[in-house]
Amino acid sequence: MPATVFLALAALTLVSAGIVAFSKNIIYSTLGLLGTFLGIAGLYVTLSADFLSAVQILVYVGGTLTLILFAVMLTARIDKMKVSNPSGGIVPAFVLVALLLVALGTVAAQTAWPSEARPVMPSTAKLGHAFLGEYLLPFELGSIVLLGAMIGSVVLARRAVKRSWEKG
Amino acid sequence: MTQPLDNLRSLAYFGPELALSGAILLVILWDLVVKQARVAGALAIAFAALAVSAGLSVQAIVSGAGSRGLFNGLIAFDGYTSLFRILIAFVTAMVLVFSKPSLEEKSAREPGEFITLLLVLTLGMNLMAASRNLLMIYLSLEMVSVISFVLAGFKLDDAKSSEAALKYVVFGGVASGIMLYGMSFLFGVSQSLNLSDIAAKTAELTAQQGKVPGAVFVGVVCMMAGFGYKISAAPFHMWTPDVYEGAPTAVTAFLSVGPKAAGFAVMMRFFSEALGAVHDARIAGTVVDAAPWAILIGCLAMATMTIGNLSALGQDNVKRMLAYSSIAHAGYMLLGFSGMSKVGVASIAFYVITYCFMNLGAFLVVMAVAEQNGGDETVGAFRGLGRRAPVLAIVMAVFLFSLTGLPPMAGFVGKFYLFSALLETGGTWSWTVAVVGVLNSVISLFYYARVLRVMFLEDAVATEPTTVRPMFQVTSLALAVPTLVLGVYWSPVYDFVVRSLATVR
Repeated sequence: MPATVFLALAALTLVSAGIVAFSKNIIYSTLGLLGTFLGIAGLYVTLSADFLSAVQILVYVGGTLTLILFAVMLTARIDKMKVSNPSGGIVPAFVLVALLLVALGTVAAQTAWPSEARPVMPSTAKLGHAFLGEYLLPFELGSIVLLGAMIGSVVLARRAVKRSWEKG
Repeated sequence: MTQPLDNLRSLAYFGPELALSGAILLVILWDLVVKQARVAGALAIAFAALAVSAGLSVQAIVSGAGSRGLFNGLIAFDGYTSLFRILIAFVTAMVLVFSKPSLEEKSAREPGEFITLLLVLTLGMNLMAASRNLLMIYLSLEMVSVISFVLAGFKLDDAKSSEAALKYVVFGGVASGIMLYGMSFLFGVSQSLNLSDIAAKTAELTAQQGKVPGAVFVGVVCMMAGFGYKISAAPFHMWTPDVYEGAPTAVTAFLSVGPKAAGFAVMMRFFSEALGAVHDARIAGTVVDAAPWAILIGCLAMATMTIGNLSALGQDNVKRMLAYSSIAHAGYMLLGFSGMSKVGVASIAFYVITYCFMNLGAFLVVMAVAEQNGGDETVGAFRGLGRRAPVLAIVMAVFLFSLTGLPPMAGFVGKFYLFSALLETGGTWSWTVAVVGVLNSVISLFYYARVLRVMFLEDAVATEPTTVRPMFQVTSLALAVPTLVLGVYWSPVYDFVVRSLATVR
């Protein structure tokens, strides 16, 4: 049973990722992300990371995906963009990726990954304790990163608004 | 090593970072509340915080404080961290000095935000040098990357600057994605984010299998994407020329030194603490343990030097040329590391110090020249500079000779230590890498000499003396003096470096 669930979730993730990468229509690509995000959320559940899975759905499906959709739809002529540095062709890319896949696959298959019994399902309390105990420093630094990113994005966005307003 | 300290007791050793965090908040508040002397006040706060950060670190090295794990072992407090903290504080302070004139102009937009972001970057770089946990490595790298994106796009209404920022974002996203993938391999094998746990597990598996396990190798190769991106080593150097050309010159000067130094700091700590690959000196038996890493780093070093130097030959824009030259210098530093010895780490730390003087200086001269020529940064703008602004031209010559690595400049001594650290380890491989390095130094002479020829041997269209901001002249002289002095009398600085590295583990 768990194997089937895993395979179904992996298939959902990979197929949607394929749509994201290969679809000619950027809207379909964006919607393909929905499947990838949901598949990953499912994989988190099979790994007993329930909190992470919920966050994945809330933040990525509910927030990030919506934002990307807005960005795509509000950008004028996004599908007529001229690609300034075209790729080197499908065949070399395919060969390279296939070689990489074989190399990574061999290594992953040969390695004896350590495994342990799964901990109990509700992980939220543990995460909370970790954030306010052992991992307090990264938790606090995350807030500084976010503060900096917020200031930076306001600076960049304000400039763009001023520019179009000045021209108009 | 002593037991890692808990959160509360770690704060006593966390002064530099606390000062920087406090200054970040203070600058935001100051910029918001105060009407008069907004920029001057914000700068004063920033300089004070940087002075505290550097001062506490100097004190830590001089007093010989032992190595400790802070915050339950997430970051390290040792001479290595302190040394890089001093360097990073110096670089940030210099860049604030560089950008002071443009920040104080009436038309300057968001000067407060610029200073705030620069301080956040400094904090991130300090943490990069101190990280001894995969989570902290990732978080501090992202902290530096995200803010650098914004700074690269800071130039007013300039399409090139926006392009630079966007390219930086795209490459940065890819690089940190690959790095996270590599981390997942390491975590999968060792079930720990702690570098020392990873080292223990790797050593155990290496002893079992008789070679470095495949998963660890893949993990490290992928992590090199993140480190290589920060130090702009091939094949992750592609963003460098565009970003360096597009970003405001003060930011370019900063990016070419600060994140590069921090990138080397985090990379060297990773190799030494997570792989146990860095040895006191190469003894016959230890060659096997370090072999794949020495070859990996050696290959990267050769590729980086060659690509950087060959691409620099055809550049007409001096900023772009210096971008390729900074790639080449990342290659030289990797060369020093490919011996995988502690002497190599010391030689890189010393080289970063010399590099920071000469490279900051070269960018400062470019900035001063471009300012006088309506933003023209091509080689043509330097024509006849020897006659029009002799001080600036001579100072630039000092920086360029030093970057080439000619005696009696600091660059020569730095390069000497890098090569001798490599050759001390011996073997055919070291000699191959060293020969490629020497050939590259010869190539580099061509493009540096081109600027020199234009400055001193060609006549400019205009012959009247150029007026250069006194501040630029003073600062460039202040950077040229150490570049010269360190070329003749370097032992106190080198001893200081060795002494601060002695407390590591």
